[in-house]
Amino acid sequence: MDTPTVVSVKDVQKTYGKANEKQYTALKGVTFDVQRGEFVGIMGASGSGKTTLLNILSTLDKPTAGEVKINDQEISRLKGNALADFRAQEIGFMFQDFNLLENLTAYENMALPLTLQNVTGKKVREKITTIAKTLSIDAILNKYPTELSGGQKQRVAAARALVHNPAILFGDEPTGALDSKSARELLDTMAQLNEEQRVSILLVTHDPFSASYCQRILFIKDGQIGQELVRGDKTREAFYQEVLDTLGTFNH
Amino acid sequence: MLWKLSLTGIKGRFKDYLVLFSGLIMSSAIFYMFEALATNKDFVTSNSPIGMAAIVFQIGSVLLGIITLVYIIYANSFLMSMRRRDYGMFMMLGAKGRKIAQLIAAETLVIGTAATLIGTAIGIGLTQVVSQFLLSRLDMHIKHFSPLYLPAVITTLIFFIVLFIIAAVINQYQLLKTPVLQLLHDDQQPNRIKENKVTRLIQIVLGLVFLAVGYYMMIAIATFQVMGLVIALVTIVLGTYFLFNAFFGWLLMLLKRNEKLRNKGLNNFTLAQLSFRIKDYTKMLALVAMLFALALGAITVGIGYQNEIPKIADSASAYDVVLNQPTQKALTLTKDLKGVKQTATYQVKEDAKTVYYRTAQLKQTPLLTMEYGKTGSVSTETKVRQVPLRELQTGDTYLFRSIQVPSQTAKAVKLVSNEVFAQIAAPTKVVKTYDVQDFSANLPVIKKLYQEQLKANPELKANPEADSSKYVSYKMANGVFSGLEFMGFFLGIAFLAMLASCLMFKILSGAASDVKRYTMLAKIGVRQSLLKQSIAKEIGALFLLPGIVGVVHVLFGLQMFKELMIDPYNQIWIPFSIFIVLYAVYYVVTTWLYRGIVLKETKFGE
Repeated sequence: MDTPTVVSVKDVQKTYGKANEKQYTALKGVTFDVQRGEFVGIMGASGSGKTTLLNILSTLDKPTAGEVKINDQEISRLKGNALADFRAQEIGFMFQDFNLLENLTAYENMALPLTLQNVTGKKVREKITTIAKTLSIDAILNKYPTELSGGQKQRVAAARALVHNPAILFGDEPTGALDSKSARELLDTMAQLNEEQRVSILLVTHDPFSASYCQRILFIKDGQIGQELVRGDKTREAFYQEVLDTLGTFNH
Repeated sequence: MLWKLSLTGIKGRFKDYLVLFSGLIMSSAIFYMFEALATNKDFVTSNSPIGMAAIVFQIGSVLLGIITLVYIIYANSFLMSMRRRDYGMFMMLGAKGRKIAQLIAAETLVIGTAATLIGTAIGIGLTQVVSQFLLSRLDMHIKHFSPLYLPAVITTLIFFIVLFIIAAVINQYQLLKTPVLQLLHDDQQPNRIKENKVTRLIQIVLGLVFLAVGYYMMIAIATFQVMGLVIALVTIVLGTYFLFNAFFGWLLMLLKRNEKLRNKGLNNFTLAQLSFRIKDYTKMLALVAMLFALALGAITVGIGYQNEIPKIADSASAYDVVLNQPTQKALTLTKDLKGVKQTATYQVKEDAKTVYYRTAQLKQTPLLTMEYGKTGSVSTETKVRQVPLRELQTGDTYLFRSIQVPSQTAKAVKLVSNEVFAQIAAPTKVVKTYDVQDFSANLPVIKKLYQEQLKANPELKANPEADSSKYVSYKMANGVFSGLEFMGFFLGIAFLAMLASCLMFKILSGAASDVKRYTMLAKIGVRQSLLKQSIAKEIGALFLLPGIVGVVHVLFGLQMFKELMIDPYNQIWIPFSIFIVLYAVYYVVTTWLYRGIVLKETKFGE
């Protein structure tokens, strides 16, 4: 089975500040690929550049130099509406603080990416019913976010991120605001989605436990990828230990 | 230390304070102008038509005062609600409630006094401009008129400072009874209220019934008089409130049920935003609708009165110009009259008891008289009628009044043949009458002719009240109605400024909590144009709904003026267009400012 590249990052640099001011380089030439169906983690301490990298990948920021391709499209060339449309069609987002619209029900939140593409009512309902079953949130569709628990909210956010079949799902510390039980359940679901439905996932985190669910982890430090771990056939627990060991040496 | 914190608090909210500030400045400026025009002795005592206008301005300033009180209490408590967190924080840090209360009072008073001072200064400038305009309009010259009038300054200052003290007391009371914890988390309180269908239905029915009763009272104001006015005021306010509380929410729910509409672009989001807003804004929108109606009503009635002037003048006399013993100069001037429809010349002789006219002349060109409707008041039934000869021969002197000078009106009238007329031993006097197509268009000439009449008949100058000529009626009407027009116009503008700033204020202060939503929408790939559209629709609805309700209120409210005006709906599009344009400007500015706040973080890396 061929595994085409979903995300391709080549020598990406990002410098903040104008040429004549004090400059700060957040990314100093980052290169990596994500294959279709992969579950990749990016780890790093605060200030390592991982958020900058995610912003660039998700087209919220532009690299100073280098090339980013998602689904074979060079994203730094996109502008305005094309850029918005690209995000709407190719990318799914999960945020630490869920970012649900609290004045819309879970169902309406999930329908948003579809209505943006003017999908008809019947199809919207079908798609939402399917994804809600997968994420076991079909019982809470008519509730408002304030009536939901953190874990439920993040599942709704995941459903919203996936309902339009994006090329890749970006997760920015999605378990950051959850208790350990909800976090574990969410990660299990994400791993399951990845295995069963071949959803490509890129997870940014500083939590070794979350990272241990990935197949491959890139460690980023001071704007560069310093190390790469591959889970291979190891159990999750063993991989978790490996991540911890790596972090112990990597950050210092 | 608290002072410093408080000052930073104001700085942080500068934009919001600026909106409040400009509203207050506008209000105090106009208040000063009304006061200065109403109480300035140089202005008032100089001439009677202006004296009439002065009363009108005094009424206007009272009205403005009442509405300003509402505005200040509202705007202030609103500003307070934005600063509740700050105050909660101060209290948590250990500041005593009394200290905070002092702080609030001081803040309110400082802002209020500053706004009033600036407003008064602007008001002086405004008075200068308006008084000049008013004087030229009333065709008058006053030597010693100064727009700076100390009693008016003092009245304005005292009035506004009292208002601010009231506002400060209300603020303190509201703040100090709220628990600290609630103050701190005010913006995170969920404000979703469960809808009860029965309550909603009751409210919708009540709202419509109240409005119907109110409208009926205004239409039948002649029957119910003051009682009707009071009932209308209460029921319309209540009806408007219920309308916004229940009816519009229900309307939005219906829209939301429509799947086709809902599933298009951001419509679902926009509708959700709106139904959330309308619930939250009920009192606000009801207030705006009421103020809108008052403002539009003031402008419409004001301009309506202006339109009345020629009509009132028309109904005063059947002739546009009557020249008693015209001077040579007057006769030359008559050639400048445009569009003369009819002219007549009558020869008159008089002795101590009787005025003699020539029958032949009156037969050839019958006298004209005003025929009033059955009600006797000014109405559309009023029209000009030719008087047949036999009616004149009954000796009804009243019919001759319009072609006589005051001293003749008490005398008997006799119609005589040419031969008899020639034998009467008295000098022949000439009366000439003119009717033109358009009285207003000929005004400059008519004014000069009037001056000539004064020269030819000194008695007219001595008692102008007895002069029944159309020009004098015009001047009187102009004095009263120009005042009304100006007052209506300025009251309208002041109301509009206040209501629109209230609305703008409310919408903008909600913007901060909306930033997150719009940023999120942009992140998941909503186009900028779609975001802008959603904002335009949302704010548009918030402006439009009270606007429509206000317009409907005014259309019914004008019924009340049927008693006072010949046609209150005449040329109604002029005030409506002026008002709608101004209101639209507020809408555009609000949308623009709101966009600036919520879309700031949505242009990623561009």
